[in-house]
Amino acid sequence: MIVNSVGFQTLVKREMVRTFSIINQVIWPPVIQTLLYVFIFGLGLGSRIKEVQGVSYAQFLIPGLIMLQLIDQTYSESSSSVFQGRFMNSIQELLIAPLSAIEIVLGYVVAGVVRAIFIALLITALGAVLVHAAPSDWALYLLTIVLVAILFSSLGIIFGLLAEKFDHIAVLTTFFITPLVFVGGVFTSMQLLPPLLQKISLVNPMFYMIDSFRYSYIRTGDVPLAVSLGVVTTLAVAAFVVALRMTAVGFKLRT
Amino acid sequence: MNGAVPALRIENLVKRYGDFTAVDGISFVVPEGQFFGLLGPNGAGKTTTINAIVGLAKITGGSIALFGHDVVRDWRAARGTVGLAPQEYNFDRYLNIRDVLIFQAGYYGLRGPAVAKRADLLLERFDLTSKAKLVYTKLSGGMKRRLTLARALIHQPRLVILDEPTAGVDVELRLELWSMLRELNTNGTTIILTTHYLEEAEELCDRIGIIHAGKLVALETTKKLIGEGSLQDIFLELTRR
Repeated sequence: MIVNSVGFQTLVKREMVRTFSIINQVIWPPVIQTLLYVFIFGLGLGSRIKEVQGVSYAQFLIPGLIMLQLIDQTYSESSSSVFQGRFMNSIQELLIAPLSAIEIVLGYVVAGVVRAIFIALLITALGAVLVHAAPSDWALYLLTIVLVAILFSSLGIIFGLLAEKFDHIAVLTTFFITPLVFVGGVFTSMQLLPPLLQKISLVNPMFYMIDSFRYSYIRTGDVPLAVSLGVVTTLAVAAFVVALRMTAVGFKLRT
Repeated sequence: MNGAVPALRIENLVKRYGDFTAVDGISFVVPEGQFFGLLGPNGAGKTTTINAIVGLAKITGGSIALFGHDVVRDWRAARGTVGLAPQEYNFDRYLNIRDVLIFQAGYYGLRGPAVAKRADLLLERFDLTSKAKLVYTKLSGGMKRRLTLARALIHQPRLVILDEPTAGVDVELRLELWSMLRELNTNGTTIILTTHYLEEAEELCDRIGIIHAGKLVALETTKKLIGEGSLQDIFLELTRR
């Protein structure tokens, strides 16, 4: 599958260099935003809520906040990297090299996974220190991060290829990702919603990502874990296949 | 000209964009070791041909082989043989210029001390050592042009394609680049050059192909092509039809 492993690793490294050269856009915003959410919603308003799913509201909030930031940063980074590469033509460095479509797509996706794990660990450490929330199932914690990062890195590649200007990249974030994540269980359990909203939540893919990830913290969820993981895995595989296909045919890459 | 297999073989290459035919059935061979000039007016199909050779443009019809490797069927081997110095500066803005070279080598599957050493040698050869830690946006136009060439050479390709390598540079740098290109060719690297400066082609190229409206309208050694006249006269005659 990967023949030019050095080329693939070089692309992953390049993406990490990019991430740390714009650290104020990629790493610190999710950390600071999480701090603000924890103080205002978790410790401030949350002190008036007794318990949610057997834990304090602040502890309930942490896994949702990690997902919120991961989804946003993973998509933003891979979409802007691909689009910027197209816009500046620097992506031609990859296209003329002996790198296959799978090596290029995996390069972006693996970098997205590494970036996601790094951001998640930072926020997890904050949660542990501030509200004593820590994962109890590290394997599920990592598995969910990896699946969600694959999904949103792949979506980033797809929209980085589709976009004609930077503004187009924001369409998915503004009109789909952010609203769906906010109503997908970051701030509240589905069980607390009215019956109609509970049913609507079930068609929101973000709900399954957050529910699966929260399971790694509190070992309980709104739907069975196998269902959540099944939905997330299916979406991740589908998005990866589409990103790979678009790259393989040279969609907006090769004239 | 020391290889039985040519550096480049193009057979009946066609490239269409919708209804527009950018390249219309051109065929030519560039033997290994040759300094070949590909000339033509703006929009003639030169850059499209180059893009088809390096894999940036999908071929509509015909075939291209680099050192016997078909660029579609055997693309991985074909791409390893060629280095491209494009006309525009498309460097990675997040890397310093030494890393631009090292990462480019990485994409070609090369890494380690030998690559770092070659990057340093190229920076020295192109008088860029003192700028090694800068990003390319901090370089002058001439330095960027030299960096383009250095990047094309980092993986030691057997064929280098130069798209307008001296566009926008002053006379002094142009002469310096000519000297570098001659040295490169003397050391065995096949070179394909596109240029708008006819005196550049006349000065450097062993053989010249002229493209006009997607068709190859001349293919001859520089000496024969010029004959008793000048390359400019021949070029204007062929491309004004």
